[in-house]
Amino acid sequence: MISRRALLKSGAGAVATTLAAPAIAQAPKKISFLTWNIIDQEPMIRGWITRFVKDRPGVEVEWLDKKGPEIPVFYQTQLVAGTPPDVINTQGALGLEYAAQGALLDLTPRLKAETSVSSRFNADYLSNWAYEGNNYMLPFYITKTLLFYNKPMFQTAGLSGPPRSFDAIIDAAQRMTSGEASGFLTLNFDWLYWPLYAMNGVDLLSKDLTHPTFNTPTAIEVTDRLAKATEAGAINKISWTGRWVEPNGAFAAGNVGMLHAHSPAYFFFKGQGKWVTPETLGVAHAPGGFATPNSHGLGISKASKNADLAWDFLKFVTNEGAQELGVNRKLVTGNTAVDAKNLADLEKSDPLVYSILKTQLEHTDKMVGNWRLGNDSKVKEAFWPELQNVLLGRKDAKSALADAERKVTRELKRG
Amino acid sequence: MLLPFYWVLKTAVTNENIYAYPPRLLPESPHLFNFVDVWYFIPFPRYLFNSLIVSVLVVASNVIFNAMAAYALTKSFPGKHAMLLVFLSCMLIPFQATIIPAYLITSKLGLLNSYLGLAFPLLSTIVCIFVFKAAFEAVPQSLVDAARIDGLNEWRIILRVLMPLSKAAIATNVVLAFIWSWNAFLWPLIITREPTMQTLPLGLARFLSYMEDTTGALYAFAAMVLAPSIFVFLMAQKEFIRGLTSGATKG
Amino acid sequence: MIPKIGRRGAWWRKKRTRELAIVACFLLPSLAIFFLYRVLPLGWNLLLSVQYWSPLKPPRWAGLDHYQEMLLYDDVFWQSLKNTLIFIGASPIAIALALGIALLLNSDLKSAAVYRSIVFLSYPLMTVAVGIIWRWMYDERGGIINFALRESGVVAKPIPFLQSFEWALPSVIVAEVWQVLGFYMIIILTGLQSIPQHLYEAASIDGAPHWAQFGRITLPMLRPSLFLCAVVGILNSFTSFDLVYIMTNGGPGHATELLITYIYKSGFGQTKFDYAAALTVVQFILLLALTYLANRAAGGNAGSLERQ
Repeated sequence: MISRRALLKSGAGAVATTLAAPAIAQAPKKISFLTWNIIDQEPMIRGWITRFVKDRPGVEVEWLDKKGPEIPVFYQTQLVAGTPPDVINTQGALGLEYAAQGALLDLTPRLKAETSVSSRFNADYLSNWAYEGNNYMLPFYITKTLLFYNKPMFQTAGLSGPPRSFDAIIDAAQRMTSGEASGFLTLNFDWLYWPLYAMNGVDLLSKDLTHPTFNTPTAIEVTDRLAKATEAGAINKISWTGRWVEPNGAFAAGNVGMLHAHSPAYFFFKGQGKWVTPETLGVAHAPGGFATPNSHGLGISKASKNADLAWDFLKFVTNEGAQELGVNRKLVTGNTAVDAKNLADLEKSDPLVYSILKTQLEHTDKMVGNWRLGNDSKVKEAFWPELQNVLLGRKDAKSALADAERKVTRELKRG
Repeated sequence: MLLPFYWVLKTAVTNENIYAYPPRLLPESPHLFNFVDVWYFIPFPRYLFNSLIVSVLVVASNVIFNAMAAYALTKSFPGKHAMLLVFLSCMLIPFQATIIPAYLITSKLGLLNSYLGLAFPLLSTIVCIFVFKAAFEAVPQSLVDAARIDGLNEWRIILRVLMPLSKAAIATNVVLAFIWSWNAFLWPLIITREPTMQTLPLGLARFLSYMEDTTGALYAFAAMVLAPSIFVFLMAQKEFIRGLTSGATKG
Repeated sequence: MIPKIGRRGAWWRKKRTRELAIVACFLLPSLAIFFLYRVLPLGWNLLLSVQYWSPLKPPRWAGLDHYQEMLLYDDVFWQSLKNTLIFIGASPIAIALALGIALLLNSDLKSAAVYRSIVFLSYPLMTVAVGIIWRWMYDERGGIINFALRESGVVAKPIPFLQSFEWALPSVIVAEVWQVLGFYMIIILTGLQSIPQHLYEAASIDGAPHWAQFGRITLPMLRPSLFLCAVVGILNSFTSFDLVYIMTNGGPGHATELLITYIYKSGFGQTKFDYAAALTVVQFILLLALTYLANRAAGGNAGSLERQ
């Protein structure tokens, strides 16, 4: 086994060095493209591939699409075997983890050399995947959290508009709580709830990502208030126990005042919630404009044998492809020119979606919950269960945060 | 017992959201479109074909290899105890812990993306070996001795004496091997790159909407994957009825 | 076996060698598969558990660091261990239930055949589908169970089955038993089928009551089947991986975390393959110990029946 790995390493090294040399096309050059759960856009992607290979004789593109939970298994296995897909699409911090593992190609030199490419993206979103100062991925499509709210419920509770501070959130939530109705719901995966802490000035880690900074009296107080509000029913319990279907479903049922989620949630709960119309759905930023991004990026595997071709494909997808993607899926791609145009069109055709997507491009300097950690999942695993314990009333805030601090420190030390 | 199934079928024929409150007991506006959609949207026949080939391969080799191994285990030989222990402990190794080495090994054997590769890890299963073993041991020794005196060699003994009296065990083997290979998801996911080599569960999963599906399509899919296994079981059903051994010993 | 008259020594040895050769040949195909797909991977896990390794980086020696981490610092490990044991502990109940059902349905009546099919129906359903179905059934709002409970007035507020720390594991276990009952039944039915009828007839003639027949004939003859069921029950702690993963993903807060989900998450979720390997080794040892105990309870030798 060890010799095999050594072989793998030397093989990868050999490939890396030959990448510098110009690629001479002789046999058909093939790259594989792995996407994350976008199978409904099959015609579009096949169209991209057709157009891409049309101008490049002798080139083939193999397209694979896998669902979210399947990708890590698939990709890691392929990685160990030395045959990872050339271009991969990841969501959230997974890209950073793969970069930290050394699975992804460092795109920084290429971006530096081709400023036309780097300038086409929203800089804040592009830096979502900057690990240790180097860029590993380009934005495929981007999302971040915002606050959806149920206007009729707000009116009944006598609230004039969306909350503008943490206190206002708690207050509004309490006012809308009665019987089965609750005031506030948030998604909890991938740090999506972090704006609640950010707006109180709490940060998870120090700027250099070496030690935790969340065990502060403020954080304890915030956690305590959240726990009490959850117990009182003002914050719906599903915020801390649900994944995707339950929280969005609850909001769709029409008896939750506010939903703190990222933009794709809209399409999900709109499908289930008959009450959702432009008049009844309110869209706002979370207080302070803080939001956690949860974007999809495109990167190149370091073990790719056709890195230049893969880079070509990346450029194609984020330029020509982005336009179609933005229109078909009604999302923001990170390509500023494309997004500007798509949004201008949406403003006329679907003002509600326009207002939602507009928030994705505002306050991009206030993005939190996106620490450039190579071991994001481990830190998350060390922190979240403790927090969940408090929020569900099993533990008190002080000891939970202290325990979490201990565990996070261990993970950070391990590197 | 049956409630979940009723619900599966009910939602499979409608498009209503299953999380709607309150849950409806009868399907509203039932239609069979979900089943039709699945057939046309993806290369269903191809996946069906792939799954069939792999399952047939698995079932056939299971019956043969397991019977052989079980027969060997009914004899006494030095190291039998250790061998039994080896077999038992092999059962205790979960698939999830073997994904990476299994992939590497299959790759070394050159079996990636192939029917044999899909079937390989399942060609023999320990549970079924023990089922055969129990069945073989329940056959009275006198029959085996009689056969041996008649001059039959080992193969013939298995085929002519033991197997016919172990119909239930064979049926169990067939049913279980079929189910395990038909429902396999994780292994085909990793071992197949080309969509044309994918098996049914994998292929149908592609069909699910990109946002966790809560409507009938999912259940149409589940029902369709389930159907053949049920069919195999129903066919093998009659072997579980008693009545075959008694005749032989008396005579 | 009556050897033919002749030079006993050499002849007997030759026959024995031939017999051994046959045993070896017959065991070979199965052993080959298990060697490749079980033994080698176990070895890989064992090796990995004493190293620091991540894909693409060379391995470093770690000694027993991972085990130390696991046993001394990792409360998730202990929680999953506890949950796994509870999970396994539910299997005797399920097996007893299956035994009862099998006995009832062990006849060639048409109705028995129908009921057998109904009970078995749950097993061929993909565990992923079972997970999704039960997760929906347990749902607080749209789920049928809560709906029935509220309509019939048993409870006032919906019970958060899969979201509460107390109810989550039992709920998952119920779903698991629902699915695996048919499997136990089929194993037991196979075993019942091979019990010679004449034993019962002789006992009836002797005037033995039914329960005595059950205790003296059925149960002992079923030993290998019951042992098999017990082992499968132990295995369920990881073959129900999909079920747990889909229904609760180990939550809330590790209340339903089994060793196998923890292994999978450590490996493919957190890329801690070396730690996952150590967990696998520990789980293997645990399961081995449990199987050994089950073997002893079944009378040794995998519950095989001595020739009567």
